[in-house]
Amino acid sequence: MLEARGLVKRYGQVTALDGFTLSVAPGEITGLVGHNGAGKTTFARIVAGLAAPDAGHVTIAGLAPRRAARLIGMAPQEISLYPAVTVRESLRLSGGLNGQLRKQLTAAIGEVTDALCLGGFLHQRIATLSGGQQRRAQAALALLHRPPLVLLDEPTAGVDPPTRRALLAALRERAADGAAIVYTTHYLPELADLQATLALARGGRVIARGTAQQLLSGLPGQVTVDLGDEVLQVAATDTAAALAQLLTTISKPLRGVSVTEPSLDDLYQALASAA
Amino acid sequence: MLHDGSSLKLSALRVAALTRHNLLLRRRDPASLITYMIMPVILMWLTRPLLTRLMPGGGTAQDVTGPLVFSSTLALQIVGMSLLSERTWRTWDMLRATPATAAELLIGKAVPVLAVLLLQQAVVIGYGVGVAGLGVAGPYLLLLAVLVWSVTLLAAGSLLATLVRSHTQLAVLTDIGAIVLSTLGGALLPLSMMPSIAQHVAPASPGYWAISMLKAAIRGDATGTLAPAAILGAIAVAAGATACLRLRQGLARLRS
Repeated sequence: MLEARGLVKRYGQVTALDGFTLSVAPGEITGLVGHNGAGKTTFARIVAGLAAPDAGHVTIAGLAPRRAARLIGMAPQEISLYPAVTVRESLRLSGGLNGQLRKQLTAAIGEVTDALCLGGFLHQRIATLSGGQQRRAQAALALLHRPPLVLLDEPTAGVDPPTRRALLAALRERAADGAAIVYTTHYLPELADLQATLALARGGRVIARGTAQQLLSGLPGQVTVDLGDEVLQVAATDTAAALAQLLTTISKPLRGVSVTEPSLDDLYQALASAA
Repeated sequence: MLHDGSSLKLSALRVAALTRHNLLLRRRDPASLITYMIMPVILMWLTRPLLTRLMPGGGTAQDVTGPLVFSSTLALQIVGMSLLSERTWRTWDMLRATPATAAELLIGKAVPVLAVLLLQQAVVIGYGVGVAGLGVAGPYLLLLAVLVWSVTLLAAGSLLATLVRSHTQLAVLTDIGAIVLSTLGGALLPLSMMPSIAQHVAPASPGYWAISMLKAAIRGDATGTLAPAAILGAIAVAAGATACLRLRQGLARLRS
């Protein structure tokens, strides 16, 4: 669905993208992770046709970004809504611009506001909504016309847990329906919840790509054994074997044993510091 | 680019959605429009006795066209604000990311603002005819003149919005610009009563051509209407084309 190859984008002396390559298949949720300045937002802007790359190319279902606008739903990092209009009016504008006719649009508004728990706020003006509600409204705009490619840039920043769960459920449903989703976040447990494949960005390029399982397989976990008067810790890629080996060397009674498998946070730290 | 009936229909749908939305935005913030409609009427009422005494026979035309040009120039702020607010709200990029083309976005934005400018001038002329006793010998010429002047203001306001950095800058520029250009053009005081140097510089102001055009249309003078209309049309095309070029780059990155 989304193919980006060798994207380069410079703003004066600053290189925002430096050979950014990423493919996302239909039905795949890709978690795009990286520090601020890694190039995530610039990448999303190029995919959405808001900026042109200096080099490289990007296609959505084989089309250049500007020709594929109707295939894309985008929720940028910053709230980008009209404060004086209601949620329903915002959705009607978005639907109209994406060619949804009245009956189809009414049904789509009902569906997306139900999914994101926005039904109670349809007649409220954007300016009167909380930050989390505004973020939900923004996500609703991105999902309204059921685009085959969804770009979400930190959509859960500042939202409460029930809203987060509702949004993640809606995204899983869209992915199951065949949509490709690019999900930028700093909150890595969400990606595990979404069963997303990962793309780690640093310095304007993707430095690691794969499923969480693939990327975590080379990382060590930690075995901790509490003996009361001392605590033994061992880092190992095969934590079960390491624990078994450790236990053969201990003659004292055990106060506690814990095994910590590597997390996405560990992976991110390892890759970010290695690159 | 439109290729067939289907894409033409979709384009019309998008323009309709944008126009409806921008009319809604105008309705939600009516204060400036109401102000710019009431102000010229009050100005006409205040200056009428003076102008009819100073300009026997031509005072009423001056009394209507002067405040009309002055207040409509001030309304440049409405035009500029309608675009600049998209930057403040970060909504311009959201619009650009939709299937709407740049032309559709601009039409959807322009139609409601043009309607506002036409409404404002219709109110002033209506008051002039109904209350001040203005006689219009060329109603169609006057309609053309009002349309040309509105389009010129629309283009100039759009260009201003792409040049300024903030709402404050826009307000200052439109206030000062409106006073200077309309005064120099003879909107607040008949040109014949101004210093000779001001009379020589006056043609540099679009306000001068607007007043000439409107007065000629009121007295039914086609040549006197069309010549200034052509000059204002050229100004509108130049300003509009420059504004479009800058808008295509995206408002968010304009001098910010």
